[in-house]
Amino acid sequence: MSAPEIVFDNVSKFYGEVLGVNRVDLHIPPGITSLVGPNGSGKTTLMNLMTGLIHPNAGVIQVRGISPYAPEKLMRILGYATQYDAGPRGATGYEFVHTGLVLFGFPKAECERRAWQAIERVGLTAAAKRKVAGYSKGMRQRIRLAQAIAHDPEVLILDEPLNGLDPLVRAETIALFRDYAAGGRHVILSSHVLQEVDVFSDQVILIANGMIVAEGQIKSVREEIHEHPSQFLLHCRDASRVASLLFAEPHISEIKLAPEGAGLLVLTRNREAFAAALERIALSGIDIDGVIPTDENVDALYEYLIGGGK
Amino acid sequence: MTPYQQIWTIARLELGRVFFSKRSFWVYILAIFPSIIFLGHALEAGLKKRNWSADRVTSAATLNQVQTGMTDDQVLALAGKPISDVTRKRRIRRDDEDPDAEKQPEVRRYVMYFDGKKRVDLRFEDGKLVARNTHELMNFEDDRRVYATMFQFFYLRLGIFFGCLGIFINLFRGEMLDRSLHFWFLAPVKREVLLLGKYLAGLIAASLIFGTGALLSFLAMALPHDPTEVAAFWQTIGPGHAFWYVAAAGLGCVGYGSVFLAAGLLLRNPILPAIVMLIWESINGFLPDVMQKLSVLHYLQSLCPVPVPLPNDMPAVLKMLLAPAAPSSIPVAVLGLLAVTALVLFAAMQSVKRLEINYGTE
Repeated sequence: MSAPEIVFDNVSKFYGEVLGVNRVDLHIPPGITSLVGPNGSGKTTLMNLMTGLIHPNAGVIQVRGISPYAPEKLMRILGYATQYDAGPRGATGYEFVHTGLVLFGFPKAECERRAWQAIERVGLTAAAKRKVAGYSKGMRQRIRLAQAIAHDPEVLILDEPLNGLDPLVRAETIALFRDYAAGGRHVILSSHVLQEVDVFSDQVILIANGMIVAEGQIKSVREEIHEHPSQFLLHCRDASRVASLLFAEPHISEIKLAPEGAGLLVLTRNREAFAAALERIALSGIDIDGVIPTDENVDALYEYLIGGGK
Repeated sequence: MTPYQQIWTIARLELGRVFFSKRSFWVYILAIFPSIIFLGHALEAGLKKRNWSADRVTSAATLNQVQTGMTDDQVLALAGKPISDVTRKRRIRRDDEDPDAEKQPEVRRYVMYFDGKKRVDLRFEDGKLVARNTHELMNFEDDRRVYATMFQFFYLRLGIFFGCLGIFINLFRGEMLDRSLHFWFLAPVKREVLLLGKYLAGLIAASLIFGTGALLSFLAMALPHDPTEVAAFWQTIGPGHAFWYVAAAGLGCVGYGSVFLAAGLLLRNPILPAIVMLIWESINGFLPDVMQKLSVLHYLQSLCPVPVPLPNDMPAVLKMLLAPAAPSSIPVAVLGLLAVTALVLFAAMQSVKRLEINYGTE
């Protein structure tokens, strides 16, 4: 039974004099984890380190208890869909997936069954006998995903897996990630599409300039950022009165009228005190129809943490 | 799946790519070049024989009666019409200050006869026969020496050398350029096993290409000769010679393959290891005995069944470059080559464990 976490212990990686990642400490639990950061921030470096495609200059990495220096063990539990097409030149989609399985030592019939199953799972059955070279960008993404999941790995790593997918396929692919992660497996992906990551990730790792800026569930990460006020949208009929009552609270830093009379945008430095104040206002007979946190998403976190690098 | 099965599976998957790689297509040209040369030689000899036979054949007995000192008219009367007859007159220049000019003949005549197998060249000076040379149109003994020279100087030193460079250096470096090496690195196999699988694929391809090339060129050299002579050759030393030429080609692939596989892991530019290796192999004859044992060519030359004939008047330095200083016995040569290969492959295994995928920045 392998340990269920992916651990980076003080890991640094340099490409010559160029920093890849610096002193990374991570404990990634099972579920969907998104690596978010601008180009060159170190997302792919982290993924390549996890999979042993590159080696750290310092520190130790364990993927469910297995060192990336032991590919014969690691690759049995790990599937990695990179950004690059790889496989026999001139291969069809089916051959692309099947060839990867041959090296796992499955019997011939089992290789065929798994290859077809994985291809069906990404919705490419009809195109499986066509050459990968003739695939569209989205189809290539999906065939790489099929290859990564064909041996049913415990850890699935995907570099920009949603690039080039149309909305329908994107939704299906996200559903596949959720389904995959539901069984206690790791799904780790990188993406520039922050809204999507926000919606389906169990946790995020924000990375900039090779350093981890924040990690954890989006909500808990947000709560750790004390220096930035939390933002809420209050839906209420008597906005001016609610605003005057809230201004009396010391933790409130700013109140704005929301556009088109939708209510109030309130910035507070103390979420508990803000909740208590709202309770008092409600008990005094003023109707508050709804309270929506407006910055518990990755965009907002990113804006706060690394200065609008999305 | 045992490591041996994995090695074989990797080799099987790689074979197609190695055989049909665009980057190493020229390898085939290197392999078949000697066959083309010998076929061309056989074709030329056959055409000459046909033309001369159609023109005129003079019996060997008649030509044996031709002696130096005879006049050209006497020879022509005895042997009849030649296959070639060329006369050249000396030009007399007024400003000729050569004191020996007066001693030189006024007229030179070159006459050729053909007896069905040999060409007899006669040289007349001022009407008298002064020189007579006989050339066999196809001399098996000579051709075997020519083959030995070609095999050691072209096939081993250049053909197999650069052929292996093209095949083996691309096993890893080529995949790095194609951005496809991670396909292998993401497979559940040890890097060392992957290296051996790729090496096996390269070795099978190179040995087949160059082993076949050696055998074809050997056959192209031998078969056009007199069938009786060829049959006698095949019943005695022929199979042994053919075997050792093919074996030397195969072992050349074993040795050079390992070196260039390792070079492909360590260096980006294939020109550098090629130049270094070529220099190393060339100067090997000058090195102490121990250092000579670290050369692939040293062992390969020791395996060749026919020593290369080097002219006696060849400068010593050149002789040293072209001939193995102290050939090893066949068992020592084979084992020595395998030991060098094992050493290089071990170093390559250490290197491949540290090899990283770095196609570019993310």
